Amino acid sequence: MGTSLERYICANCGYIYDPALGDPMNAIAPDTEFADLPEQWVCPMCYAFKDQFDPLD
Amino acid sequence: MKPSVASLYQAVELQQEIPPLLIGERANANGSKKFRELLLADDYQACLKIAVEQEAKGAHVIDLCTAYAGRDELADLTTLVRMCANALKAPLMIDSTTPACIEACLRIYPGRAIVNSINLEDGGVNIRRICRAAKKYGAAVVALTIDAQGMAMTCDDKVRIAKAIHAVAVDECGLRPKDLLFDCLTFTVGSGDETLRDAAVQTLAAIRRIKLELPGCLTVLGLSNISFGLAPQARRILNSVFLHEAVEAGLDAAIVDAAKIVPLARIPASDREICLDLLYNRQIEGEKSPLMRFIDHFSGQQAAGGQEEEDAGKKTEEQLFQKVLNGDKEHLEDLLAILRERFKPIAIINQILVPAMRHVGELFGKGELLLPFVLQSAEVMKASVNLLEPFMDKTEGTAATSILLATVQGDVHDIGKNLVDIILSNNGYKVHNIGIKVPAETIIEKAKELRADLIGLSGLLVKSALVMQDSMPQYREAGLTIPILLGGAALTPKFVAESCVPEYGGPVVYCNDAFAGLKAVQEFEAGTLRSTVFDDATTLRPMKPGIKTSVVDRTNPVPQTPFKGQRYVEDIDPRELFPLINMQALFRGRWGYRRGKMGAREYAELIQDTVQPLYEGLQRRSFEEGWIQPKVSYGYFSCYSEGDALIVEANESTYRFSFPRQAEPPFLCIADYFKTGNEGGDIAGFFIVTIGNRIGEEIARLYQANAYHDYLMLHGFSVELTDALAEYWHGVMRREMGIGGQRPQELHGAITQDYQGSRYGFGYPACPDLEAHKPLFAFLRPEAIGISLTENMQMVPEQTTSAIVAHHPHAKYFAV
Repeated sequence: MGTSLERYICANCGYIYDPALGDPMNAIAPDTEFADLPEQWVCPMCYAFKDQFDPLD
Repeated sequence: MKPSVASLYQAVELQQEIPPLLIGERANANGSKKFRELLLADDYQACLKIAVEQEAKGAHVIDLCTAYAGRDELADLTTLVRMCANALKAPLMIDSTTPACIEACLRIYPGRAIVNSINLEDGGVNIRRICRAAKKYGAAVVALTIDAQGMAMTCDDKVRIAKAIHAVAVDECGLRPKDLLFDCLTFTVGSGDETLRDAAVQTLAAIRRIKLELPGCLTVLGLSNISFGLAPQARRILNSVFLHEAVEAGLDAAIVDAAKIVPLARIPASDREICLDLLYNRQIEGEKSPLMRFIDHFSGQQAAGGQEEEDAGKKTEEQLFQKVLNGDKEHLEDLLAILRERFKPIAIINQILVPAMRHVGELFGKGELLLPFVLQSAEVMKASVNLLEPFMDKTEGTAATSILLATVQGDVHDIGKNLVDIILSNNGYKVHNIGIKVPAETIIEKAKELRADLIGLSGLLVKSALVMQDSMPQYREAGLTIPILLGGAALTPKFVAESCVPEYGGPVVYCNDAFAGLKAVQEFEAGTLRSTVFDDATTLRPMKPGIKTSVVDRTNPVPQTPFKGQRYVEDIDPRELFPLINMQALFRGRWGYRRGKMGAREYAELIQDTVQPLYEGLQRRSFEEGWIQPKVSYGYFSCYSEGDALIVEANESTYRFSFPRQAEPPFLCIADYFKTGNEGGDIAGFFIVTIGNRIGEEIARLYQANAYHDYLMLHGFSVELTDALAEYWHGVMRREMGIGGQRPQELHGAITQDYQGSRYGFGYPACPDLEAHKPLFAFLRPEAIGISLTENMQMVPEQTTSAIVAHHPHAKYFAV
């Protein structure tokens, strides 16, 4: 598992995507890896696309 | 009688009993940065001081040079010659190549001066005029071994040119041999350049021959050229050893920094030997080259200068390339001086600097270099060009593609446009940056007047995108067909392709960032630039996050507020704001310190060693220097919703705020969070906050000073600080309303709105329309705290933000 549940952070607003929690605002179920989020997924806080996200740590 | 020169106070023999005659070199606008800066500041007294100080350090004669691009050399030089004539005991060396300046100075100088210099570069025009003036006023003259073919590199050429000069100066113009000081030029042995390996040998041989073959003539040498590109401490030693050798060869005078000459007796024998090996290019079987041995030898002696000596082993071209890549401005001046010996300034720009910046751009594109480092590279580029400019013909470089840049009418946002300026101008293009809030008429007029090859328009907000769209026909009707590049956060390829491209005759191109702008200009040059095409199939349709419940329950109680109406607050301690700064957004977003391809550990080190100290430094400086002046206008007002609108009662009248509603489920609208009149009405909070205009002034100053990196850093800091003030004040208002009393435990709580209520910024996704500023300004009256509006409703200063505060428990961020 290890890296697969890695958290990602939005470089634009600081929102953290935590795979363990998913993203209820976008109807993303818990245990969804960042890499598996759909390409059209956006930050639930500031609407930035996935390419604006960085690995958190 | 022995040849000598004289000031008002004393005569000095050119051939000193213990040679050489030392000529102080520091009062030179080209050779001394300090002197140049004082001159540029018109501080003649301080310039004079530099001249005078050299006397105490042992200079027998003082060289004075004020030639610098953009200065009035005649005025500067005659002023300082007058001052030096009174203040200096040492005679003066008038350092100019302009005959009129030399004549004017000789006329006013009350002694026997030395003129520096004559040569045969122009085939023999100036030399005759200067020699006749020297004859008339009784001056000695320095003659450089340069002719129409350039600077003499070999002993034979140096001697040949010296004889040609002798023929003109002595035989034709009547100077005596002892009036001439031949400078047979020296080039660095420190660059690693193969053709310069025996530079010292050639120069020393030429000195011997001139003394022999042109009897009675004197010799002089600009000493420090021999060691350009080497480490400062090693240079001193090499210069001193070389001076000794030159004097042995017959040198009479040396132009030096007198303070930096080390007596030979104080130089250890091992140091001396290694210097002699380098000067005489003595190869030793089975060992490294003399230069590498020299570098190794002196690097052992001083731990601090490791990098410099390593650099010296590389070719100078490569060193400059590396400096751009590393964003390193140290010793640029020396490096460029070496390169100028071999290349024209325009060649240095086009063949070394521009390719280096291209490489930097490629690394950025591949995610291997972060934006702050790109800006540091651009600073090196800019500094290099500034150092080269005085040596360039005015016509050089005018052939470059030119781009007119402007932020559109009503938009005050500078940074995006300025980043494009930085990237383009430091990739060798000519950029005309005509500022912010520029009407289309002015842009058209300037584009025609400056014959721009492309136009770049910038604007941050939605309104600015509409301004761009609306102005397209205007550009077409004005007869323009040159490409127009569009950039700004509110633009999309779809909008540009569908709303802008059809309205203009030439190419209209969407640029996502400054590097896309660079790519577009490169495509323009290649003839391949085309309008943006929007492909529906391949474009991402973003998801619409948000709460999916559409029914907002409005039975919640209306909070009590401590007052109704408007108030100003100006006594906020800036330090209260620092804990609320969104550091992740600042570091990764605003500043561009993304982790990207970096490993976790490497990134943690970057943050700890570079970014965090930068951030703390900015906090400290902004606090100490009073850059942050938080001011707030806010209030609570009775209101009621009416469909998509909120009717606000203030100052005994009503103000209508129309809010947009989502076009798809759950069809949210800000007005829904407020009770209707029938439901008993409600209360709404509003605020406008600013951190003042001082920080904006400092940001502008950094940009003007070409401090690109610091400019981006302070700008990003100011934007996040403004947001921190909004978050802070939102907290104050929530407390005053008695909702979610305590602040979120950590900042992340604020990001995810871990509290009751929401602030919706005007101009942001839930209410993008800035028209709301009109009623807001009517009752918050922020003009009293220094905030004004542009014609399309943007607030000035830029570090200002506004919001409506909803107390409803369901109120969270959403986008329309």
